[in-house]
Amino acid sequence: MRPRRSAAFWALLAFTLAVCAFLVVPVAMSMLAGMTRNYFVGWRSGLTLDWVLKVWTDYRHTVGLSLQIAIACLACTLVLGVPAAYVLARRSNAFTRAVEELLVMPVAVPGLATALALIVTFGGWGDLRRSWLFILIGHVLFTLPFMVRSVLAVMASIDLRTLEEGARSLGAGFAQRFFGIVLPNCRPGIVAGSLMVVTLSLGEFNMTLLLHTPLTPTLPVGLADAYASLRIEVGSAYTLVFFVIVVPLLVALQRASRPRGRGAAR
Amino acid sequence: MDRHDRVALAALLLPAATVFVAFFLIPLARLFAIGGSGPRGWSAYAAVLVEPRYLWSLVSTVALATATTVATLAVSGVSGVFLVRHRFPGRDLLVAMLTLPLAFPGVVIGFMVIMLGGRQGAVPEITDALFGERWVFAYSMVGLFVGYLYFSIPRTILTVMAAAEKIDPRIEEAARSLGAGPLRRVRDVIVPALRPALFAAGAICFATAMGAFGTAFTLATKINVLPMVIYTEFTLQANVAMAAALSFVLGAITWAVLAAARSASGSTVAAAG
Amino acid sequence: MSRRQMLQAAAAIGTAAAAPRFAFAQTQRAICYNCPPEWADWGGMLRLVAQRTGIVVPPDNKNSGQSLAALIAEKANPVADVTYLGGQVGPQARAAEVIAPYRPARWNDIPATLKDPDGFWFTIHSGTLGLFVNTAALRGRAVPRAWADLLKPEYKGLVGYLNPASAAVGQVGVIAVNLALGGSYDQLDPGIRFFRQLQANAPIVPTQTAYARVLSGEIPILLDYDFNAYRAKHTDKAPVEFVIPAEGTQQLPYVMALVARGPNPEQGRRVLDFVLSDEGQRHWANAFLRPVFPDAMSAEVRARFLPEAEYARARPLDVFKLAAAAKTIGERYQKDVG
Repeated sequence: MRPRRSAAFWALLAFTLAVCAFLVVPVAMSMLAGMTRNYFVGWRSGLTLDWVLKVWTDYRHTVGLSLQIAIACLACTLVLGVPAAYVLARRSNAFTRAVEELLVMPVAVPGLATALALIVTFGGWGDLRRSWLFILIGHVLFTLPFMVRSVLAVMASIDLRTLEEGARSLGAGFAQRFFGIVLPNCRPGIVAGSLMVVTLSLGEFNMTLLLHTPLTPTLPVGLADAYASLRIEVGSAYTLVFFVIVVPLLVALQRASRPRGRGAAR
Repeated sequence: MDRHDRVALAALLLPAATVFVAFFLIPLARLFAIGGSGPRGWSAYAAVLVEPRYLWSLVSTVALATATTVATLAVSGVSGVFLVRHRFPGRDLLVAMLTLPLAFPGVVIGFMVIMLGGRQGAVPEITDALFGERWVFAYSMVGLFVGYLYFSIPRTILTVMAAAEKIDPRIEEAARSLGAGPLRRVRDVIVPALRPALFAAGAICFATAMGAFGTAFTLATKINVLPMVIYTEFTLQANVAMAAALSFVLGAITWAVLAAARSASGSTVAAAG
Repeated sequence: MSRRQMLQAAAAIGTAAAAPRFAFAQTQRAICYNCPPEWADWGGMLRLVAQRTGIVVPPDNKNSGQSLAALIAEKANPVADVTYLGGQVGPQARAAEVIAPYRPARWNDIPATLKDPDGFWFTIHSGTLGLFVNTAALRGRAVPRAWADLLKPEYKGLVGYLNPASAAVGQVGVIAVNLALGGSYDQLDPGIRFFRQLQANAPIVPTQTAYARVLSGEIPILLDYDFNAYRAKHTDKAPVEFVIPAEGTQQLPYVMALVARGPNPEQGRRVLDFVLSDEGQRHWANAFLRPVFPDAMSAEVRARFLPEAEYARARPLDVFKLAAAAKTIGERYQKDVG
């Protein structure tokens, strides 16, 4: 094998560290700003949790709504996406390929367009327009391809056909095969897909900006408002709250995406 | 495949298909119709190529998305392969940090750019100390590019790493024993093996960059990317028709690029991870 | 730690955090477009409204342009009950047929130039446009005293103004500079020329309120209203100065209107009644705005404003003329300035 500590290794390590710094330093600065008494003066003005408290008092409802939508979105994508991925894995013909292309469309079409389309079509249904379900629809459309992709990748890499044939020859019916063989074998893909869906839903802004009403503000929308109109310390504290919710999910996602040795999930 | 199974498969696909048709295809069709129903009629669709303001914004958006994709793939490729190949203390932490911004909304990204390059940002402080002049880049094209890079790297690096894991080390060994230097090995062994993943990740990166809105919204630069123009058209004078037409063109271009990338890489969405 | 347990925990947290929302949903409510909590202390006003009338109004951060567009887009099925608009947007909203007439008590006391003759909209308070300056962020440079000062190279990268194509205050900025430099509502050249020259100084042009950025030092000089500057100075204790430029400036009335066919019209009307009531007007005065009924401003609050001599340079804006010119301003700005 290559020698571990060659010059190339250190150069590449330095490069990777620089990239990490680029990504992480602003996050750290922002977290610090959220706990600083006065941003313009800097950390010398003292640390405080007052801003975080203010955010929690004024914007708690956005956190609840975002979590609510993310969980509902997960439920929907599981129910819609996992069976769809199974079909795409079992059958491969022109029709299923077309379905795959179509499913990716909400990722290609800009979020603004999807939101506009929903508004012009369903905006007239007052109750739907004013409810959080309107936002949920947009989120499900956007995250479904990610769930399908994740599960399909796992299904494609395991030999579904042989497993199912084996089970069928032993007398297992369709439902038994689906819930007893297929799903457990796809667990890594389902878990990775679930985490992806939840994190994407929590951070979704483009569509939600147009789909929300003053009654249904989500966390990113509230965050945008806070940055625009409130003190930067409040915006930063709000970002800090967002990080605290999202970072554990991201760490879990990264763990779940890690392959478990040879012949594994991805 | 027996008939019972065929029915079952159709039933499994039905919910997703129904939701999709009802909440995406039909609304998009309606949006398309509305795009042609404004004061300009159907020529609104040509407006993106005819009006200098829209054309310029489309060109900037495509240029920005392309530059972002190329830079992101380069950075993710180098770092991704490096992280997969070497185990050292703190490696897992580095990977976690690199995927951190994955969920950040554009607003937060814009704010991160201001933290890095705004008037009080980290980089201007450094350049002030070193050169006596503050390099405030947050509100220029550089700032926008930095923001786009910021949310693209995490999205691509996981895919690249997953594909890099699958590269058979024996092929590289063989190349090395035949006398190929490191750069040659990269060009002829690693990059071709990563090609499907690079195409897939690059396609998603391009699509996200084309549709990105929150970052430009926060940075309020003079560069008007197309999503900002669409937003202003909609919220400026409720010019829904023009906004619809522009959205459609943007979506069509993005989708065309995605389709081209998929056929060029010769694999389906799924297999590329 | 199974997936199901994780989901259950998440659901529990989500429900707990959302619980206050459900209580909220049962109370009386009205939706306001363009009631940003930190603009003109709408946050305080909405709290006052909830206390005195029992109507809960959630805040909303749209600017005037975005509100009008949203009202037009939702015309068939409105989401909002009332809206707050820059004065010049009132006539535009009436022309778009998205607002309905309503005359609160004391309607007759409002001067004729500050209300729609048929009751569609009315002024609740005014602000004066000027320079909202963070003196500490200037790092030793002199505080600008005139519009012309902003063109000086020493202020490069330090000046900001809201986008005239979208925000009411942006349009007011253009017309104020225009009128101060010798133009008129029909002759926009001096103002447009000024902003084109200003581009050489690398200005920052946000779309929504940029109050936070002035305080953080990101935008040391912002074309904004006196009430925002006074709030920064007296409430947030920031190193701020408000400057009425030497060439002169404009005073803009801000109006409110009832949205046509809104979902909660009765609550909407009561909210409009409250903002014109004595208590409401006093609140605006305490938030450093000029209430439409001047007797609501106490001498103590008056003392915190700049002296009257300075305000002599500030002329009241003709909202009807500005409404007619608004579209042209937006177009000229986009065409000639970019």
